[in-house]
Amino acid sequence: GAGGPRGGAKVAVEPHRHEGIFIGKTRNEEILLTKNLVPGEAVYGEKKISVDTPEGDKIEYRQWNPFRSKVAAAVLGGVRDIHMKPGARVLYLGAASGTTVSHVADIVGPEGTVYAVEFSLRSGRDLVNMAKKRTNVIPIIEDARLPQRYRMLVGMVDVVFADVAQPDQARIVGINAQHFLKTGGHVVISIKASCIDSTSDPAVVYANEMKNLKEQGFKLNELITLAPYERDHAVVVGTYRVKKSK
Amino acid sequence: GWSFLIKGCNKMGGPSLYILFEASSGYALFRLNESVDIGMSTDEIQLSVADFGKFTSLVGLVAFDPFQTAQQALENCNAISEGLTTDMLVNFLESNLPKTKPGKKAKYAVGVSDPKLGSALGEANIPCKSGAEVHEYIRGIRMHFPKYLKAMKEEDLLKAQLGLGHSYSRAKVKFNVDKADTMII
Repeated sequence: GAGGPRGGAKVAVEPHRHEGIFIGKTRNEEILLTKNLVPGEAVYGEKKISVDTPEGDKIEYRQWNPFRSKVAAAVLGGVRDIHMKPGARVLYLGAASGTTVSHVADIVGPEGTVYAVEFSLRSGRDLVNMAKKRTNVIPIIEDARLPQRYRMLVGMVDVVFADVAQPDQARIVGINAQHFLKTGGHVVISIKASCIDSTSDPAVVYANEMKNLKEQGFKLNELITLAPYERDHAVVVGTYRVKKSK
Repeated sequence: GWSFLIKGCNKMGGPSLYILFEASSGYALFRLNESVDIGMSTDEIQLSVADFGKFTSLVGLVAFDPFQTAQQALENCNAISEGLTTDMLVNFLESNLPKTKPGKKAKYAVGVSDPKLGSALGEANIPCKSGAEVHEYIRGIRMHFPKYLKAMKEEDLLKAQLGLGHSYSRAKVKFNVDKADTMII
């Protein structure tokens, strides 16, 4: 990817504020990293960085490019909590070829699970292949609008992440949450303004989507825009079925 | 304990409610405890779902029939995703639901997630219902399912999901490759 560290450059790796994510610091730049679940394997040509531990072991990280992943862009944009952390169960709607899914799989680690739903067969093939090596990813080639169709394959999850770029995304997330998201679980949704309404101002589109999500039973915690990594994109984080205070 | 007897009606005098849960590892049949108010609101059900102890006093496991092979799991998963029944499912339900005398109306209904599967089972003389309350019970079952089966650990369920997810998805990708080829010819 662009802007990666030069070969041989010394990289110091530190944990990011978000559990399961790391920052690599070279003399000139800071890059986002996840700890490679399958050392030696790159998924889409991303850079791997190997670091010696004080104990003499090697830990391998993979560079996570915010221009290619909206979750990475949200993390660099300062999102307060992505709720995807070691051990978490994540339902990932709109998994595409699985590039971001592979990083989420690194983050949740061997104790976590990512149910990765993608409807396109072209992307689905890459997703299935990626999941062969990352055994905490369960590939589901199905239509995210019809969670009934894949209900045998999915357990209750802690987080629903959605990047389905559909005008009725809020409804799609709502029906998936109704089937699979724990009460008090979280939703992280990427909103591409032009996919929902190409004629309105993005801020208006975001406000409308927030309203639609509230109607689906979510309490919204934060919204951040993804500039400079994506134009007219936002990520919204919410909580499902928050107990009403008496 | 959930070793209640299965015949008869619940305390409201209505038909008993069973719940079908389709898991990656097999079919499970649950039943609402007789003392449960069948007309409970979805809010009330939601409150009991959070706690396993509370939930088991509400919903008991009647029977579980595991898939014997990966092939059998895939065939059943393909059917369920389309809202269709299989011989295995019908046999499982028939052998675990109370018998209804010919010409008599069944004193139970089976809550199912998918109304389309419900009508397919209805044609096999298994009366079904679906809707908001059934959905809430199924949420609870999905939440606590591994705890109901002493012989099955949560890792086993995840392994079954992983295996079935791969075989289901691989078949989709392959099937459609063939379909595209046919169209070219």
